[in-house]
Amino acid sequence: MRIAVDLRSAFHLISIVLQGVGLAFLLPGGVALYYGEPVLPWMGGLAVTVGLGTAIRAITRDSRELTMREGFFVVGVSWLAIALVGSLPYVVISQLGFVDALFESMSGFTTTGATVLTDIEGQTRALLLWRSLSQWLGGMGIIVLAVAILPRLGIGGRQLMEAESPGPEVERLFPHIRQTARALWQVYLGLTAAEIVALSVAGLSLYEAVTHAFTTVATGGFSPNARSIEGYSGTVQWIILVFILLGGSNFALLYRGFRSPARMPHFLWNDREWRFFMGVFAAFAALLALSISALHPTVTEAIRHGAFQTASIMTTTGYASTDFNAWDSTAKLLLLALMFIGASAGSTSGSVKVVRTLLIFKMVAREIRRILHPKVVIPLRLGDRVVSETALRGVLVFAVIYVTLFAVGCILLMLDVERAGLANGETLPVLDAVSAVAASIGNVGPAFGVFGPMNSYAPLPETSKLLLTTLMWIGRLEIFPIIVLLTKSYWKGT
Amino acid sequence: MHVVIIGAGQVGRSIAHELQLDHDVVVIERSQERLESIEPFDVLSIRGNGASIKTLKEAGVAKADLTIACTDVDEVNMVACAASHHLGDSFTIARVHDPDYIENWEPGDFGVDFMVCSELITARAIGQLIGVPAARGVHTFAKGKITTAELSVAPSSPLAGRPIEELDLPSSLRIVSLIRQGEVIIPSGEDTIESGDLVVSVGVPEALGELNRRAGGRPMAENIVILGGGRIGFRLAQTLQERGLRPKLVEAGAERSRWLAEQLPYCQVFQSDATDLAFLEHERFGTYDVGVSVMDRDERNLLSALLLKTLGVKKVIAGVAEPEYAEIFERVGVDVAVSARKVVAEEIIRFTRRRIAGMSTIEGNRAEILEMEVSPESSLVGTALQDATFPSGATIGAIVRGNRVIIPGGEDTLHIGDLVIVFSRKSAVTEVEDLL
Repeated sequence: MRIAVDLRSAFHLISIVLQGVGLAFLLPGGVALYYGEPVLPWMGGLAVTVGLGTAIRAITRDSRELTMREGFFVVGVSWLAIALVGSLPYVVISQLGFVDALFESMSGFTTTGATVLTDIEGQTRALLLWRSLSQWLGGMGIIVLAVAILPRLGIGGRQLMEAESPGPEVERLFPHIRQTARALWQVYLGLTAAEIVALSVAGLSLYEAVTHAFTTVATGGFSPNARSIEGYSGTVQWIILVFILLGGSNFALLYRGFRSPARMPHFLWNDREWRFFMGVFAAFAALLALSISALHPTVTEAIRHGAFQTASIMTTTGYASTDFNAWDSTAKLLLLALMFIGASAGSTSGSVKVVRTLLIFKMVAREIRRILHPKVVIPLRLGDRVVSETALRGVLVFAVIYVTLFAVGCILLMLDVERAGLANGETLPVLDAVSAVAASIGNVGPAFGVFGPMNSYAPLPETSKLLLTTLMWIGRLEIFPIIVLLTKSYWKGT
Repeated sequence: MHVVIIGAGQVGRSIAHELQLDHDVVVIERSQERLESIEPFDVLSIRGNGASIKTLKEAGVAKADLTIACTDVDEVNMVACAASHHLGDSFTIARVHDPDYIENWEPGDFGVDFMVCSELITARAIGQLIGVPAARGVHTFAKGKITTAELSVAPSSPLAGRPIEELDLPSSLRIVSLIRQGEVIIPSGEDTIESGDLVVSVGVPEALGELNRRAGGRPMAENIVILGGGRIGFRLAQTLQERGLRPKLVEAGAERSRWLAEQLPYCQVFQSDATDLAFLEHERFGTYDVGVSVMDRDERNLLSALLLKTLGVKKVIAGVAEPEYAEIFERVGVDVAVSARKVVAEEIIRFTRRRIAGMSTIEGNRAEILEMEVSPESSLVGTALQDATFPSGATIGAIVRGNRVIIPGGEDTLHIGDLVIVFSRKSAVTEVEDLL
């Protein structure tokens, strides 16, 4: 059978991405050298990844004619390949099994932040840095990075970025996609650097500042501390909160804002999505603070944890400023709802995204008005911009498929755990299972109960871990690019 | 004055008819049939393409003072103006349909000195009518300082049956004329307004609202429905939206209605046939204050306007393409029929009268309201109005001196440079022009 996808040129691009990602092993390698930890595994990782990339590159050929079809394949497979090579250090250094290592690696690159490590503080510094770095690389998007720096991807890069980018569409800042990709990375680098400085000033060591900055602006949530950022002062938590919110903002919007700082508040406030993002944040933070006020000694503490946890879960980061697993059901259900809302499109966050949530509400309001006025014509707007019906249909279909995937995921997880049992012999409460699935598709990370922020996903059977790994992968790429790969017509070209 | 008119459609014909007596008029037209329609006029007619240099030369554009391009094709009109500019230095006027052209245009661009958009000024004319439910016609003068209105007096109106001096009218407003069964009366204080009269008032805009209430009209219109989302309907909705009103717009075309809804965020757009009775009833348009019917075809406009009227709409306005239909429309029950071509012709004629800054015609051309500047040669300067010899068919409605508006009494005098708003019978217009 002849297939319609040009696999050779697709793999050619994947090989280029692999070669690039291989270089990322240099950073933990350097850190290992500095702290006197074993360096060899990192050089090995570099050699394997770059070697694999070079080998594939040698047997494939370049084609300038890259279509959307190859784009989906490149993006989907690249992320899988990167997660695979990224899991090597966990196997070699942490002695994890293949499935656990892949789970940890996928959780890293997809900025999920769920872990199977039970002894985090017993890991080497280089490995924990790798964990954070994988989130940082995955946050802005590996393809965006590749488009920004690799000359080959100037053409066709837009299709790739569309497939990878969180949100309905890539906002064009410049005529060339490479310029746009670079602008986004400039913002990303700038935010990361600013947070490293801020955290250092607030008293953290450079190592802690870097690892946390990596996972904050990426809205990832990995921390080298076993109890996340619970041990840090209120000031540090507030700093991280601010950067979490920035990481959850649209980077194209931030870019415009940073270009003319005087008008930044004006830009932000006039952006409907950002305004809605802040509105939802403020409302949930207030509700959450209220519902946990009895559990915390002072009002300011309740407000801080309420605001922090709202931002952390909404932007799908997953840091814990306190053990939110100890909160009551109301607070947990508020957090569960936030897992489905997400933050801005074009940010580093996962889940549904506030702009889709907002549009869905607007569509509901429109249908109600249509009942009263059957012939009325109502275009939906975001600010001054009219949203096309095609885009609205996309939003609706996305929401449906997201919820379907969530429901199917819940059922499969429960079935699998009932079949194989948890490692600790306990049964799995429904809320825990539901929150774990929501946290995986939404790239949030920690969930409730067994999977609480101070616990881990280690007790799950391997099959369940593979299920959640798959959900993270599909969730990060916003479902469609992966689903498309599973259709007959994609391969047959009909 | 040597005037070249390009295009002998309705607009060209009206202008030629208006100017034939006092000016040398040459009309260029391609169609033999249309040329024949202006045969009775005292003008020179030339058959040919108005955008061709040869024809324009033949018409004497080189020595013309004024060139008016009013064919049905916007682009031809603009090319004709550009060509005229090339040949001589006449003042050029282009009529266009598409408002986009006028929005990008500055005086002098494309050789066009003055551009008139029929759809735009028709929409504006209808918009002015909507502000005052009892009004048949509303016009503004002196850069908006003065508003004139023609109000019909209902039998139930408190104005009917009483002398004007007993009405206790606002002092910033004057009734300059009563039109009774086609006869133009310039009233004095003792004259009585009768039901069925058309009252012509001149005054500051705020006073008009007050008079409107007295005349039995309800407060300024709130609920407005526009049938037809063509250029006029769209511009009208836009104008009303800018005034803070929230009109409803009905358009049958799916794509057009979507476009309209996107362009008009404060206006509710319905995609429906304007004669769909079930729809009109479902949306309760019958309870509305004003209904405007501005679709492409006169028959449909008439039908849907009458439909709205029977449903209970207080005031219905219909657009009409053929100016002759306007009277028929009004006779069968449409409150006001607005002819785009008539409105355009008026606007252009206004420009041909050198000294007249503003003008509007009243009741089928029987009278006019003129805005004029008092010249240094005027014999009226310095004389109290009660002692001046003013034509009996005319009266001064208002004086604008700097930023001040004066509603004159007998003891007021005119100064050089004053703007005066004069109501005049058609027969007295020339006399008034000479006097001021």
